[in-house]
Amino acid sequence: MDHAAAQLEKQHVHDVYESTAPYFSDLQSKAWPRVRQFLQEQKPGSLIADIGCGTGKYLKVNSQVHTLGCDYCGPLVEIARSRGCEVMVCDNLNLPFRDRGFDAVISIGVIHHFSTKERRIRAIKEMARVLVPGGQLMIYVWAMEQKNRHFEKQDVLVPWDRALCSQLLSEPSQPGRKQPCGPPERSPPAHPPCSVGRCSMCLKGPWDSKRSHSVDCEPILAGTCCASISKAGEEENGFCNTWGKSFRSWFSSRSLDESTLRKQIESVRSLKNTEGWAGNTISTQPSGRSSLDLDHPETFPTGEQHLDEEVFVGTAQKRLEWLRAPAPRKHLNGDHTGGGKFPDSASTDENCVDADDLEEGNPFASKLWRRISAVSATDSHPGDDAVSGKDQGPRGLDAKAFMRYYHVFREGELCGLLEESVSELHVLSSGNDHGNWCVIAEKKQSGD
Amino acid sequence: MKLLTHNLLSSHVRGVGPRGFPLRLQATEVRINPVEFNPDFVARMIPKVEWAALLEAADTLHLIEVPKEPIEGYEHDEEFLRKMHHILLEVEVLEGTLQCPESGRLFPISRGIPNMLLSDEETET
Repeated sequence: MDHAAAQLEKQHVHDVYESTAPYFSDLQSKAWPRVRQFLQEQKPGSLIADIGCGTGKYLKVNSQVHTLGCDYCGPLVEIARSRGCEVMVCDNLNLPFRDRGFDAVISIGVIHHFSTKERRIRAIKEMARVLVPGGQLMIYVWAMEQKNRHFEKQDVLVPWDRALCSQLLSEPSQPGRKQPCGPPERSPPAHPPCSVGRCSMCLKGPWDSKRSHSVDCEPILAGTCCASISKAGEEENGFCNTWGKSFRSWFSSRSLDESTLRKQIESVRSLKNTEGWAGNTISTQPSGRSSLDLDHPETFPTGEQHLDEEVFVGTAQKRLEWLRAPAPRKHLNGDHTGGGKFPDSASTDENCVDADDLEEGNPFASKLWRRISAVSATDSHPGDDAVSGKDQGPRGLDAKAFMRYYHVFREGELCGLLEESVSELHVLSSGNDHGNWCVIAEKKQSGD
Repeated sequence: MKLLTHNLLSSHVRGVGPRGFPLRLQATEVRINPVEFNPDFVARMIPKVEWAALLEAADTLHLIEVPKEPIEGYEHDEEFLRKMHHILLEVEVLEGTLQCPESGRLFPISRGIPNMLLSDEETET
Protein backbone atom coordinates (compact mmCIF):
# COMPACT_ATOMS: atom_id res chain seq x y z
CA MET A 1 0.00 0.00 0.00
CA ASP A 2 2.86 2.32 0.63
CA HIS A 3 4.01 1.85 -2.93
CA ALA A 4 0.55 2.62 -4.22
CA ALA A 5 0.46 5.67 -2.02
CA ALA A 6 3.82 6.81 -3.33
CA GLN A 7 2.61 6.32 -6.88
CA LEU A 8 -0.55 8.32 -6.30
CA GLU A 9 1.46 11.09 -4.74
CA LYS A 10 3.97 11.03 -7.53
CA GLN A 11 1.31 11.41 -10.15
CA HIS A 12 -1.00 13.77 -8.34
CA VAL A 13 1.26 15.83 -6.19
CA HIS A 14 4.89 15.78 -7.22
CA ASP A 15 4.51 15.68 -10.97
CA VAL A 16 1.82 18.33 -10.86
CA TYR A 17 3.85 20.76 -8.78
CA GLU A 18 6.84 20.11 -10.94
CA SER A 19 4.93 20.78 -14.12
CA THR A 20 3.10 23.80 -12.83
CA ALA A 21 6.05 25.31 -11.00
CA PRO A 22 6.83 27.74 -13.82
CA TYR A 23 3.46 29.30 -13.27
CA PHE A 24 4.22 29.84 -9.65
CA SER A 25 7.21 31.86 -10.26
CA ASP A 26 5.96 35.15 -9.14
CA LEU A 27 3.11 33.66 -7.38
CA GLN A 28 2.57 34.68 -3.87
CA SER A 29 -0.17 32.57 -2.56
CA LYS A 30 -1.67 33.98 0.54
CA ALA A 31 0.64 34.10 3.53
CA TRP A 32 -1.63 33.19 6.37
CA PRO A 33 -1.44 35.81 9.07
CA ARG A 34 -1.41 33.30 11.86
CA VAL A 35 1.54 31.58 10.32
CA ARG A 36 3.33 34.86 10.05
CA GLN A 37 2.48 35.53 13.64
CA PHE A 38 3.82 32.16 14.71
CA LEU A 39 7.07 32.87 12.93
CA GLN A 40 7.36 36.35 14.32
CA GLU A 41 6.84 35.07 17.82
CA GLN A 42 9.82 32.77 17.65
CA LYS A 43 12.78 33.92 19.70
CA PRO A 44 15.47 35.83 17.86
CA GLY A 45 18.23 33.47 16.83
CA SER A 46 15.85 30.56 16.38
CA LEU A 47 16.45 27.92 13.75
CA ILE A 48 13.28 27.20 11.87
CA ALA A 49 12.39 24.70 9.19
CA ASP A 50 9.61 25.25 6.67
CA ILE A 51 8.87 21.76 5.45
CA GLY A 52 7.08 22.06 2.14
CA CYS A 53 8.09 25.66 1.63
CA GLY A 54 7.12 25.87 -2.03
CA THR A 55 8.36 29.14 -3.44
CA GLY A 56 9.36 30.30 0.00
CA LYS A 57 6.72 32.75 1.04
CA TYR A 58 7.38 32.25 4.73
CA LEU A 59 11.12 32.12 4.61
CA LYS A 60 11.73 35.81 5.06
CA VAL A 61 8.94 36.74 7.39
CA ASN A 62 11.21 37.13 10.36
CA SER A 63 14.69 38.47 9.85
CA GLN A 64 15.68 37.65 13.42
CA VAL A 65 15.50 33.93 12.86
CA HIS A 66 17.17 31.59 10.43
CA THR A 67 14.64 29.72 8.35
CA LEU A 68 15.53 26.83 6.13
CA GLY A 69 13.04 25.94 3.44
CA CYS A 70 12.62 22.45 2.08
CA ASP A 71 10.41 21.08 -0.60
CA TYR A 72 10.14 17.92 -2.63
CA CYS A 73 9.67 19.93 -5.81
CA GLY A 74 12.94 21.04 -7.35
CA PRO A 75 11.48 23.74 -9.59
CA LEU A 76 9.67 25.38 -6.70
CA VAL A 77 12.82 25.31 -4.63
CA GLU A 78 14.72 26.93 -7.47
CA ILE A 79 12.22 29.73 -7.44
CA ALA A 80 12.63 30.23 -3.72
CA ARG A 81 16.37 30.20 -4.19
CA SER A 82 16.16 32.86 -6.85
CA ARG A 83 14.49 35.03 -4.25
CA GLY A 84 17.50 34.67 -2.02
CA CYS A 85 16.21 32.02 0.33
CA GLU A 86 18.19 29.21 1.88
CA VAL A 87 16.49 26.11 0.60
CA MET A 88 16.92 22.49 -0.28
CA VAL A 89 15.16 19.59 -1.91
CA CYS A 90 14.10 16.76 0.34
CA ASP A 91 11.32 14.45 1.37
CA ASN A 92 9.09 15.15 4.36
CA LEU A 93 9.01 11.42 5.04
CA ASN A 94 12.77 11.26 5.38
CA LEU A 95 14.05 14.58 6.56
CA PRO A 96 17.80 14.82 6.12
CA PHE A 97 18.33 16.55 9.43
CA ARG A 98 19.92 15.52 12.63
CA ASP A 99 17.67 15.07 15.61
CA ARG A 100 16.67 18.09 17.65
CA GLY A 101 18.19 20.72 15.41
CA PHE A 102 15.29 23.12 14.98
CA ASP A 103 13.58 25.43 17.41
CA ALA A 104 10.43 25.47 15.34
CA VAL A 105 8.97 23.79 12.29
CA ILE A 106 6.10 24.81 10.05
CA SER A 107 4.13 22.60 7.73
CA ILE A 108 1.66 24.73 5.84
CA GLY A 109 -0.60 22.98 3.40
CA VAL A 110 1.62 19.97 3.07
CA ILE A 111 0.55 16.87 4.88
CA HIS A 112 -2.84 16.92 3.23
CA HIS A 113 -0.99 15.72 0.16
CA PHE A 114 -0.10 12.42 1.75
CA SER A 115 -2.47 9.77 0.69
CA THR A 116 -2.50 7.46 3.66
CA LYS A 117 -2.89 8.05 7.34
CA GLU A 118 0.31 6.18 7.97
CA ARG A 119 2.28 8.51 5.73
CA ARG A 120 0.73 11.56 7.29
CA ILE A 121 1.78 10.28 10.68
CA ARG A 122 5.27 9.56 9.43
CA ALA A 123 5.56 13.07 8.10
CA ILE A 124 4.53 14.53 11.45
CA LYS A 125 6.85 12.24 13.38
CA GLU A 126 9.76 13.24 11.20
CA MET A 127 9.08 16.87 11.93
CA ALA A 128 8.82 16.12 15.63
CA ARG A 129 12.13 14.29 15.48
CA VAL A 130 14.04 17.28 14.21
CA LEU A 131 12.57 19.61 16.81
CA VAL A 132 14.36 20.48 20.01
CA PRO A 133 12.43 19.51 23.12
CA GLY A 134 10.14 22.42 23.86
CA GLY A 135 10.21 23.42 20.22
CA GLN A 136 6.97 24.06 18.39
CA LEU A 137 5.42 22.69 15.27
CA MET A 138 2.67 24.43 13.34
CA ILE A 139 0.62 22.45 10.89
CA TYR A 140 -1.98 23.72 8.45
CA VAL A 141 -4.13 21.36 6.45
CA TRP A 142 -7.07 21.94 4.24
CA ALA A 143 -10.39 21.46 5.96
CA MET A 144 -13.14 19.27 4.68
CA GLU A 145 -15.63 21.62 6.23
CA GLN A 146 -15.75 24.81 4.23
CA LYS A 147 -18.01 27.78 4.72
CA ASN A 148 -19.40 28.16 1.27
CA ARG A 149 -18.66 24.89 -0.32
CA HIS A 150 -18.66 21.31 0.59
CA PHE A 151 -16.45 18.33 0.09
CA GLU A 152 -18.33 15.13 0.23
CA LYS A 153 -15.25 13.01 0.38
CA GLN A 154 -11.99 13.35 2.15
CA ASP A 155 -9.81 12.12 -0.64
CA VAL A 156 -10.08 14.39 -3.59
CA LEU A 157 -8.36 15.39 -6.75
CA VAL A 158 -8.44 19.01 -7.70
CA PRO A 159 -7.69 20.03 -11.24
CA TRP A 160 -5.63 22.95 -12.33
CA ASP A 161 -6.18 24.14 -15.82
CA ARG A 162 -3.71 26.50 -17.33
CA ALA A 163 -5.87 27.25 -20.32
CA LEU A 164 -8.67 28.46 -18.15
CA CYS A 165 -6.29 30.90 -16.69
CA SER A 166 -5.54 32.53 -19.98
CA GLN A 167 -9.16 32.54 -20.95
CA LEU A 168 -10.20 34.28 -17.85
CA LEU A 169 -7.61 36.92 -18.39
CA SER A 170 -8.78 37.64 -21.86
CA GLU A 171 -12.33 38.23 -20.72
CA PRO A 172 -13.25 41.73 -21.73
CA SER A 173 -16.08 41.80 -19.30
CA GLN A 174 -14.00 41.23 -16.28
CA PRO A 175 -13.26 44.31 -14.29
CA GLY A 176 -9.76 45.35 -13.77
CA ARG A 177 -8.32 43.24 -16.48
CA LYS A 178 -7.78 45.96 -18.97
CA GLN A 179 -5.89 48.41 -16.98
CA PRO A 180 -3.29 49.68 -19.30
CA CYS A 181 0.13 49.65 -18.04
CA GLY A 182 2.45 47.71 -20.10
CA PRO A 183 2.02 46.86 -23.72
CA PRO A 184 -1.66 46.46 -24.37
CA GLU A 185 -2.85 42.94 -24.47
CA ARG A 186 -4.53 41.66 -27.55
CA SER A 187 -6.30 38.98 -25.66
CA PRO A 188 -6.14 35.89 -27.71
CA PRO A 189 -8.19 33.43 -25.80
CA ALA A 190 -5.54 31.12 -25.18
CA HIS A 191 -2.91 29.14 -24.63
CA PRO A 192 0.66 30.05 -25.03
CA PRO A 193 1.90 31.05 -21.68
CA CYS A 194 3.38 34.23 -23.01
CA SER A 195 0.08 35.71 -23.86
CA VAL A 196 -1.07 35.11 -20.41
CA GLY A 197 2.04 36.67 -19.14
CA ARG A 198 1.51 39.85 -21.02
CA CYS A 199 -2.02 39.79 -19.91
CA SER A 200 -1.00 39.81 -16.34
CA MET A 201 0.72 43.09 -16.82
CA CYS A 202 -2.64 44.61 -17.41
CA LEU A 203 -3.44 43.76 -13.90
CA LYS A 204 -1.03 46.20 -12.49
CA GLY A 205 -3.64 48.70 -11.53
CA PRO A 206 -5.02 47.89 -8.16
CA TRP A 207 -2.84 44.90 -7.70
CA ASP A 208 0.48 44.56 -6.17
CA SER A 209 2.54 46.32 -8.75
CA LYS A 210 5.75 45.00 -7.39
CA ARG A 211 4.61 41.53 -8.01
CA SER A 212 3.51 42.03 -11.52
CA HIS A 213 6.63 43.92 -12.42
CA SER A 214 8.74 40.95 -11.76
CA VAL A 215 6.69 39.04 -14.21
CA ASP A 216 7.96 41.15 -17.02
CA CYS A 217 10.89 39.00 -17.72
CA GLU A 218 9.16 35.76 -17.28
CA PRO A 219 6.93 33.71 -19.44
CA ILE A 220 4.72 33.06 -16.58
CA LEU A 221 1.44 33.85 -15.91
CA ALA A 222 -1.28 31.73 -15.01
CA GLY A 223 0.23 31.79 -11.64
CA THR A 224 0.84 35.45 -11.62
CA CYS A 225 -2.52 36.53 -12.73
CA CYS A 226 -3.95 34.26 -10.20
CA ALA A 227 -2.03 35.93 -7.46
CA SER A 228 -2.99 39.31 -8.70
CA ILE A 229 -6.60 38.45 -8.91
CA SER A 230 -6.68 37.00 -5.53
CA LYS A 231 -5.71 40.26 -4.00
CA ALA A 232 -8.98 41.77 -4.94
CA GLY A 233 -11.24 39.44 -3.16
CA GLU A 234 -10.04 37.76 -0.09
CA GLU A 235 -12.10 34.90 0.93
CA GLU A 236 -12.00 31.99 3.17
CA ASN A 237 -9.32 30.24 1.29
CA GLY A 238 -7.68 33.45 0.28
CA PHE A 239 -6.03 32.27 -2.73
CA CYS A 240 -7.31 32.78 -6.17
CA ASN A 241 -10.60 33.90 -4.98
CA THR A 242 -12.19 35.84 -7.65
CA TRP A 243 -10.92 33.30 -9.94
CA GLY A 244 -11.39 30.43 -7.70
CA LYS A 245 -15.01 31.30 -7.49
CA SER A 246 -15.46 30.34 -11.07
CA PHE A 247 -13.49 27.21 -10.80
CA ARG A 248 -14.46 25.01 -8.02
CA SER A 249 -14.46 21.54 -9.21
CA TRP A 250 -12.98 18.66 -7.43
CA PHE A 251 -13.02 15.02 -8.10
CA SER A 252 -13.17 12.02 -5.97
CA SER A 253 -9.99 10.19 -5.43
CA ARG A 254 -9.53 6.73 -4.28
CA SER A 255 -8.68 6.63 -0.65
CA LEU A 256 -5.75 4.45 0.12
CA ASP A 257 -6.53 4.11 3.75
CA GLU A 258 -7.48 0.56 4.50
CA SER A 259 -10.93 1.03 5.88
CA THR A 260 -12.12 3.13 3.02
CA LEU A 261 -10.48 0.79 0.58
CA ARG A 262 -12.54 -2.08 1.79
CA LYS A 263 -15.73 -0.14 1.26
CA GLN A 264 -14.61 0.90 -2.16
CA ILE A 265 -13.90 -2.61 -3.21
CA GLU A 266 -17.39 -3.55 -2.20
CA SER A 267 -19.02 -0.78 -4.12
CA VAL A 268 -16.91 -1.36 -7.15
CA ARG A 269 -17.85 -4.98 -7.33
CA SER A 270 -21.42 -4.02 -7.96
CA LEU A 271 -20.64 -1.95 -11.00
CA LYS A 272 -19.94 -3.03 -14.51
CA ASN A 273 -17.07 -0.90 -15.61
CA THR A 274 -14.46 -1.94 -13.21
CA GLU A 275 -10.96 -1.58 -14.44
CA GLY A 276 -7.59 -1.97 -12.91
CA TRP A 277 -6.79 0.26 -10.04
CA ALA A 278 -3.88 1.91 -11.68
CA GLY A 279 -5.96 3.25 -14.47
CA ASN A 280 -8.85 4.37 -12.41
CA THR A 281 -7.84 5.94 -9.25
CA ILE A 282 -9.93 8.84 -10.18
CA SER A 283 -13.60 9.22 -10.49
CA THR A 284 -14.52 12.46 -12.01
CA GLN A 285 -17.39 14.76 -12.05
CA PRO A 286 -18.14 16.37 -15.32
CA SER A 287 -17.31 19.93 -14.96
CA GLY A 288 -16.03 22.69 -17.07
CA ARG A 289 -14.46 24.36 -14.19
CA SER A 290 -11.17 23.76 -12.68
CA SER A 291 -9.89 25.05 -9.49
CA LEU A 292 -6.93 27.20 -9.96
CA ASP A 293 -6.37 27.48 -6.34
CA LEU A 294 -2.83 26.51 -5.95
CA ASP A 295 -2.72 26.05 -2.28
CA HIS A 296 -6.23 25.93 -1.05
CA PRO A 297 -8.57 24.89 -3.74
CA GLU A 298 -12.15 25.85 -3.88
CA THR A 299 -14.76 23.23 -4.23
CA PHE A 300 -18.35 22.65 -4.99
CA PRO A 301 -20.66 19.87 -4.03
CA THR A 302 -20.67 16.72 -6.03
CA GLY A 303 -22.81 13.77 -5.64
CA GLU A 304 -21.57 10.62 -4.19
CA GLN A 305 -19.49 8.84 -6.69
CA HIS A 306 -18.69 5.39 -7.67
CA LEU A 307 -15.00 5.18 -7.56
CA ASP A 308 -12.78 3.49 -10.03
CA GLU A 309 -15.23 3.79 -12.82
CA GLU A 310 -14.92 6.89 -14.76
CA VAL A 311 -12.03 8.73 -16.11
CA PHE A 312 -11.73 12.16 -17.52
CA VAL A 313 -14.57 13.87 -19.08
CA GLY A 314 -14.41 14.11 -22.81
CA THR A 315 -15.80 17.20 -24.32
CA ALA A 316 -17.86 20.21 -23.65
CA GLN A 317 -20.53 18.61 -25.74
CA LYS A 318 -20.59 15.74 -23.41
CA ARG A 319 -20.95 18.08 -20.55
CA LEU A 320 -23.98 19.67 -22.01
CA GLU A 321 -25.52 16.30 -22.33
CA TRP A 322 -25.00 15.54 -18.75
CA LEU A 323 -26.53 18.73 -17.76
CA ARG A 324 -29.65 17.93 -19.67
CA ALA A 325 -29.89 14.53 -18.15
CA PRO A 326 -32.56 14.15 -15.57
CA ALA A 327 -31.18 14.42 -12.14
CA PRO A 328 -31.14 10.88 -11.01
CA ARG A 329 -29.56 11.02 -7.63
CA LYS A 330 -30.85 11.34 -4.18
CA HIS A 331 -28.19 13.93 -3.53
CA LEU A 332 -29.75 16.47 -5.72
CA ASN A 333 -31.01 19.25 -3.60
CA GLY A 334 -31.89 21.94 -6.00
CA ASP A 335 -34.87 22.01 -8.20
CA HIS A 336 -34.87 20.11 -11.42
CA THR A 337 -36.34 22.65 -13.67
CA GLY A 338 -34.54 25.00 -15.86
CA GLY A 339 -32.32 22.34 -17.21
CA GLY A 340 -32.59 23.86 -20.59
CA LYS A 341 -31.15 27.11 -19.46
CA PHE A 342 -27.86 25.80 -18.49
CA PRO A 343 -26.57 24.61 -21.83
CA ASP A 344 -26.86 28.10 -23.13
CA SER A 345 -24.74 29.54 -20.49
CA ALA A 346 -22.59 26.54 -20.60
CA SER A 347 -21.47 27.10 -24.10
CA THR A 348 -19.56 30.18 -24.89
CA ASP A 349 -20.57 32.13 -21.90
CA GLU A 350 -19.64 29.56 -19.46
CA ASN A 351 -16.64 31.33 -18.34
CA CYS A 352 -18.71 34.38 -17.84
CA VAL A 353 -20.73 32.85 -15.14
CA ASP A 354 -19.35 35.26 -12.76
CA ALA A 355 -17.60 34.56 -9.68
CA ASP A 356 -20.06 36.95 -8.25
CA ASP A 357 -23.02 34.94 -9.24
CA LEU A 358 -21.76 31.97 -7.47
CA GLU A 359 -20.51 33.63 -4.49
CA GLU A 360 -23.33 36.00 -3.87
CA GLY A 361 -25.65 33.09 -3.77
CA ASN A 362 -27.28 33.53 -7.10
CA PRO A 363 -29.93 30.91 -6.69
CA PHE A 364 -29.78 29.80 -10.25
CA ALA A 365 -26.07 29.41 -10.15
CA SER A 366 -26.11 27.42 -7.01
CA LYS A 367 -28.77 25.10 -8.31
CA LEU A 368 -26.69 24.78 -11.36
CA TRP A 369 -23.82 23.49 -9.38
CA ARG A 370 -25.93 21.02 -7.57
CA ARG A 371 -27.36 19.76 -10.78
CA ILE A 372 -23.95 19.20 -12.21
CA SER A 373 -22.95 17.43 -9.15
CA ALA A 374 -25.86 15.11 -9.27
CA VAL A 375 -25.30 13.93 -12.74
CA SER A 376 -24.54 10.32 -12.86
CA ALA A 377 -20.93 9.52 -13.07
CA THR A 378 -21.63 6.88 -15.60
CA ASP A 379 -22.42 9.55 -18.11
CA SER A 380 -18.84 10.50 -18.38
CA HIS A 381 -16.85 9.57 -21.36
CA PRO A 382 -14.21 7.03 -20.68
CA GLY A 383 -10.72 7.35 -21.91
CA ASP A 384 -8.50 9.90 -20.44
CA ASP A 385 -7.12 11.07 -23.70
CA ALA A 386 -10.56 12.11 -24.75
CA VAL A 387 -9.88 15.29 -22.96
CA SER A 388 -9.48 17.82 -25.68
CA GLY A 389 -8.68 21.35 -25.03
CA LYS A 390 -9.21 24.31 -27.10
CA ASP A 391 -11.75 23.61 -29.70
CA GLN A 392 -14.32 22.37 -27.40
CA GLY A 393 -15.51 25.72 -26.33
CA PRO A 394 -13.96 28.07 -23.91
CA ARG A 395 -14.22 25.71 -21.10
CA GLY A 396 -13.08 22.54 -22.70
CA LEU A 397 -11.24 20.67 -20.08
CA ASP A 398 -7.69 21.24 -21.03
CA ALA A 399 -5.68 18.18 -21.74
CA LYS A 400 -3.11 19.71 -19.52
CA ALA A 401 -5.37 19.89 -16.52
CA PHE A 402 -3.35 18.73 -13.60
CA MET A 403 -5.06 16.98 -10.80
CA ARG A 404 -3.68 17.40 -7.33
CA TYR A 405 -4.46 14.94 -4.65
CA TYR A 406 -5.65 16.12 -1.25
CA HIS A 407 -6.82 14.39 1.83
CA VAL A 408 -9.00 17.05 3.38
CA PHE A 409 -9.22 16.89 7.13
CA ARG A 410 -12.30 16.73 9.25
CA GLU A 411 -12.60 18.85 12.33
CA GLY A 412 -10.61 17.25 15.09
CA GLU A 413 -8.88 14.81 12.80
CA LEU A 414 -5.50 16.47 12.91
CA CYS A 415 -5.54 16.82 16.68
CA GLY A 416 -6.73 13.29 16.96
CA LEU A 417 -3.92 12.10 14.79
CA LEU A 418 -1.35 13.81 16.96
CA GLU A 419 -2.83 12.62 20.21
CA GLU A 420 -3.22 9.09 19.04
CA SER A 421 -0.07 8.53 17.05
CA VAL A 422 2.53 11.14 17.83
CA SER A 423 3.09 10.93 21.53
CA GLU A 424 6.22 13.01 21.40
CA LEU A 425 4.07 16.04 20.64
CA HIS A 426 1.65 17.83 22.88
CA VAL A 427 -1.07 19.91 21.26
CA LEU A 428 -1.00 23.48 22.50
CA SER A 429 -3.73 24.97 20.40
CA SER A 430 -5.85 24.30 17.40
CA GLY A 431 -8.41 26.06 15.32
CA ASN A 432 -9.66 26.94 11.92
CA ASP A 433 -8.05 29.56 9.81
CA HIS A 434 -9.57 30.45 6.47
CA GLY A 435 -10.74 26.97 5.71
CA ASN A 436 -7.72 25.21 7.15
CA TRP A 437 -7.41 23.20 10.30
CA CYS A 438 -4.38 24.33 12.12
CA VAL A 439 -2.55 23.01 15.10
CA ILE A 440 0.37 24.19 17.16
CA ALA A 441 2.08 21.43 19.07
CA GLU A 442 5.11 21.32 21.27
CA LYS A 443 7.74 18.64 21.50
CA LYS A 444 7.67 17.14 24.91
CA GLN A 445 10.72 17.45 27.05
CA SER A 446 11.03 13.86 28.03
CA GLY A 447 11.83 11.02 25.73
CA ASP A 448 12.29 10.99 21.96
CA MET B 1 24.12 26.25 0.82
CA LYS B 2 25.41 27.94 3.94
CA LEU B 3 27.53 26.24 6.52
CA LEU B 4 24.83 26.78 9.09
CA THR B 5 22.59 24.63 6.91
CA HIS B 6 25.27 22.01 6.49
CA ASN B 7 25.50 21.87 10.25
CA LEU B 8 21.92 20.63 10.42
CA LEU B 9 22.10 18.07 7.65
CA SER B 10 22.39 14.38 8.24
CA SER B 11 22.20 11.37 5.98
CA HIS B 12 18.98 9.40 6.14
CA VAL B 13 20.13 6.48 4.08
CA ARG B 14 18.59 3.31 5.44
CA GLY B 15 20.29 1.93 8.49
CA VAL B 16 22.69 4.79 8.94
CA GLY B 17 21.04 6.60 11.83
CA PRO B 18 23.17 9.03 13.79
CA ARG B 19 26.30 7.88 11.97
CA GLY B 20 25.04 9.88 9.04
CA PHE B 21 26.20 13.09 10.62
CA PRO B 22 27.97 15.15 9.60
CA LEU B 23 27.93 14.93 5.85
CA ARG B 24 31.29 15.26 4.20
CA LEU B 25 31.35 18.39 2.19
CA GLN B 26 33.12 18.89 -1.08
CA ALA B 27 32.80 22.10 -3.04
CA THR B 28 33.73 22.99 -6.56
CA GLU B 29 32.22 26.43 -6.46
CA VAL B 30 31.98 28.69 -3.48
CA ARG B 31 30.84 32.27 -3.21
CA ILE B 32 30.93 34.82 -0.47
CA ASN B 33 27.57 36.42 -0.09
CA PRO B 34 27.51 39.42 2.24
CA VAL B 35 24.85 39.29 4.89
CA GLU B 36 24.00 42.02 7.32
CA PHE B 37 25.74 41.42 10.61
CA ASN B 38 23.42 41.00 13.54
CA PRO B 39 25.48 40.25 16.64
CA ASP B 40 22.52 39.20 18.77
CA PHE B 41 21.40 36.80 16.17
CA VAL B 42 24.81 35.24 15.80
CA ALA B 43 25.29 35.02 19.55
CA ARG B 44 22.09 33.06 19.85
CA MET B 45 23.11 30.71 17.06
CA ILE B 46 26.39 29.75 18.70
CA PRO B 47 24.98 27.31 21.26
CA LYS B 48 23.08 25.50 18.53
CA VAL B 49 26.10 24.79 16.40
CA GLU B 50 27.67 21.36 16.28
CA TRP B 51 31.18 22.63 16.42
CA ALA B 52 33.14 19.63 15.20
CA ALA B 53 31.00 19.41 12.10
CA LEU B 54 31.46 23.07 11.46
CA LEU B 55 35.23 22.85 11.76
CA GLU B 56 35.35 19.93 9.40
CA ALA B 57 33.30 21.74 6.78
CA ALA B 58 35.22 24.98 7.18
CA ASP B 59 38.42 23.05 6.78
CA THR B 60 37.26 21.48 3.53
CA LEU B 61 36.56 24.91 2.22
CA HIS B 62 39.94 26.14 3.37
CA LEU B 63 38.47 28.85 5.47
CA ILE B 64 40.92 30.62 7.68
CA GLU B 65 40.63 31.99 11.15
CA VAL B 66 37.95 29.64 12.24
CA PRO B 67 37.50 29.67 16.02
CA LYS B 68 38.02 26.18 17.41
CA GLU B 69 35.26 26.64 19.94
CA PRO B 70 33.09 29.29 21.49
CA ILE B 71 35.30 31.44 23.64
CA GLU B 72 34.43 32.64 27.07
CA GLY B 73 32.16 35.64 26.90
CA TYR B 74 31.64 35.20 23.18
CA GLU B 75 28.29 36.95 23.40
CA HIS B 76 30.04 40.25 23.70
CA ASP B 77 33.09 39.55 21.62
CA GLU B 78 32.40 41.31 18.37
CA GLU B 79 35.44 39.98 16.60
CA PHE B 80 34.47 36.44 17.42
CA LEU B 81 30.90 37.03 16.44
CA ARG B 82 31.87 38.59 13.15
CA LYS B 83 34.02 35.63 12.27
CA MET B 84 31.24 33.24 13.11
CA HIS B 85 28.79 35.34 11.18
CA HIS B 86 31.01 35.10 8.15
CA ILE B 87 31.55 31.38 8.40
CA LEU B 88 27.99 30.38 9.16
CA LEU B 89 26.09 32.77 6.96
CA GLU B 90 28.23 34.34 4.29
CA VAL B 91 30.03 31.40 2.79
CA GLU B 92 27.86 29.77 0.15
CA VAL B 93 28.57 26.49 -1.52
CA LEU B 94 27.09 26.75 -4.97
CA GLU B 95 28.31 23.52 -6.49
CA GLY B 96 29.56 20.46 -4.74
CA THR B 97 28.57 17.30 -2.98
CA LEU B 98 27.58 16.08 0.43
CA GLN B 99 28.62 12.57 1.27
CA CYS B 100 27.13 10.21 3.77
CA PRO B 101 30.06 9.25 5.99
CA GLU B 102 28.66 5.80 6.58
CA SER B 103 27.31 4.67 3.23
CA GLY B 104 29.31 6.89 0.91
CA ARG B 105 26.15 8.02 -0.84
CA LEU B 106 26.61 11.37 -2.55
CA PHE B 107 24.05 14.14 -2.54
CA PRO B 108 24.55 16.93 -5.04
CA ILE B 109 24.58 20.64 -4.40
CA SER B 110 23.62 22.58 -7.51
CA ARG B 111 23.06 26.29 -7.80
CA GLY B 112 23.34 26.47 -4.06
CA ILE B 113 20.61 23.91 -3.49
CA PRO B 114 21.36 20.56 -1.86
CA ASN B 115 19.24 17.73 -3.14
CA MET B 116 18.70 15.19 -0.43
CA LEU B 117 16.17 12.97 -2.13
CA LEU B 118 16.77 9.28 -1.97
CA SER B 119 15.37 6.61 -4.17
CA ASP B 120 12.73 4.36 -2.66
CA GLU B 121 15.18 1.56 -2.14
CA GLU B 122 17.49 3.72 -0.16
CA THR B 123 15.13 5.16 2.36
CA GLU B 124 14.57 3.71 5.74
CA THR B 125 11.39 1.76 6.19
